[in-house]
Amino acid sequence: MNLIVRITILFVLVSLVVFLIGGVISYNILMGEVNSEQERFLMERLDRMQLRLERRPPNDTIKWTKMMVVPLDDNVEDRDSFSDTLVMHSQLERLEPHLRLDAIRNINGKSYQISLYDIIVEADDIREGLTESLVTMYLILLAAVLIIGFLASYYVLRPFNDTLTAIKSFSLTKPDQKIRFPESNVVEFRRLNDFLTDMTNKVKSDYQSLKEFSENASHEIQTPIAIIQSKLEVLMDGDNLNEEQIQQLSFIQNTIKRLSHLGNALSLITKIDNREFVDEATIDLSATLNQMLEEFKELIELKEIKRNDEIVHGVTVQADRVLIELLLTNLINNAIRHNWEGGELQIFLKSDHLKIINTGPQLQISPDELFQRFKKSNQSAKSTGLGLAIVKKICDFYDYDLSYDSQNELHTIHIQF
Amino acid sequence: MKLLLVEDQEELASGVRNYFSKVGDVCEVASSFSKATDKLYAFSYDVLLLDLMLPDGDGLSLLKVVKENWPEMGVVIISAKNALTDKLHGLEMGADDYLPKPFHLAELNARANAVYRRRKQEGKRTLGFKEIELNLDQQEATVNGTTLDLTRKEYELLHYFIVNQNRLLTKQAIAEHLWGDYMDTMDSFDFVYQHIKNLRKKISSADGNDYLKTVYGAGYKMKDES
Repeated sequence: MNLIVRITILFVLVSLVVFLIGGVISYNILMGEVNSEQERFLMERLDRMQLRLERRPPNDTIKWTKMMVVPLDDNVEDRDSFSDTLVMHSQLERLEPHLRLDAIRNINGKSYQISLYDIIVEADDIREGLTESLVTMYLILLAAVLIIGFLASYYVLRPFNDTLTAIKSFSLTKPDQKIRFPESNVVEFRRLNDFLTDMTNKVKSDYQSLKEFSENASHEIQTPIAIIQSKLEVLMDGDNLNEEQIQQLSFIQNTIKRLSHLGNALSLITKIDNREFVDEATIDLSATLNQMLEEFKELIELKEIKRNDEIVHGVTVQADRVLIELLLTNLINNAIRHNWEGGELQIFLKSDHLKIINTGPQLQISPDELFQRFKKSNQSAKSTGLGLAIVKKICDFYDYDLSYDSQNELHTIHIQF
Repeated sequence: MKLLLVEDQEELASGVRNYFSKVGDVCEVASSFSKATDKLYAFSYDVLLLDLMLPDGDGLSLLKVVKENWPEMGVVIISAKNALTDKLHGLEMGADDYLPKPFHLAELNARANAVYRRRKQEGKRTLGFKEIELNLDQQEATVNGTTLDLTRKEYELLHYFIVNQNRLLTKQAIAEHLWGDYMDTMDSFDFVYQHIKNLRKKISSADGNDYLKTVYGAGYKMKDES
């Protein structure tokens, strides 16, 4: 939910409560005012009536509209009392609530009971009027809040949105990219931008030094390996070694090679993780696959594997050539390596998927583990155990769907582009 | 062939130098950027073997200097930075080849030789061992004048042996030369054996001698023992 929408909803709810409480308070104040005003009005009329009675004291009961004077026999003390009553309204011709003032006044030594009444403003009417005006005001407020919210999100929050856009384009793998945040005269936004600038610079330099470290580490590992390798070669080239010694040296050489491969494969996986392969181009997968198979042709023939391809022409993908070649190499290499002597290899490439089926010994680990690093079906195998992990990484990188299935020593790798 | 090796690892450098001097090539070593430029201005070389990481400068800048002043010199980059960007960059800047560390000395020798012969313009470009001759332009092999019917890999194998004659070539070095880095399994050694067997057969059917000696447990050596 948008921040502005959230604040607006909160504001609207709070103002609703305020309006409800305010309505009750307004009603009470208004009713109080109206009542005291009406009472004052009746009292004034009573005063005028009293003056009149002083000039011409009546002997009998007088009944005028909205008033009545009754001469009393006894002398009674002066008093006033207000009450509500229903009186027939002459024009509306129905009973209407009236305010009634009953007073006893001593005029020229004689007591009179004076009753005055007048139509009062009804509480219902006040309530209705109040509700109507408050609802109208509330609607106006609502409209104003929505407009202000819209404007705020557009104008006030624009620097913030610009900052978000700038962050979105931030990429660790582009070392030359300088991230620029928009200027803002709002203190909070300025602080945010300053903080983000500092942070991205820090992240960049950290990333850069980490990358340099792993590159240097790889360099530092490969160099001693290279020295061992060259020394071994010189040693093996000598004439004074017996067969067993040469075999031992050969074994050392193979092990050294594996170590070097391991380093390279791990650094490759790190590079894919760091998204360093962004050199995308349209790659003719059919042509690349055919070319690969040509390279592997001799190996396939030497192992007397029966090959059966169905490769549709002109299948293309958008990807980095290096990664796609790695993907295909690893898959074909696996399909040959883990195949029987005289086994079978089937390769199907359609416009949206690649399927490689090969015969071979049953898997000794669960298929899910197959794509994990250092998982090998046969631990003694002289492989790094990283081939399929690299395949998985590449598929993840391009959102290809990779699956493995095996049935009766028949293994199927399926990649959906 | 006269080579200059720019490499700051003394141990590795001496190994390479010994390997080349055994077959009569001259290989000099410079351990830094500045020593390399001194030597380049003082002497002339056919091929430069260049490490990219030097104590006093970047190998790529040295490559730039070389390509500006001695464009005819062949350059093979040898680097532990098996970074593809470095490789592409180096080749774009005029390097002839790129060999990641660790490498087999035989492989380095083969690469340096290939660069050297490619750049040598005059004369027929051939390579021979006794009655076997390779025509590098046609990619053909003849024995006593008879052209052998070799597959591409068999030709490459023979070429590799002749360039590294009298040296032990391990099965691993051969496998890597023929199939590149991805053939790292023991399986490939059977394939090497198959190829050697076929090659021997084809040479002997053209009345050639078998110079491919098996060194048990290790590899093969092309050697004339008679």
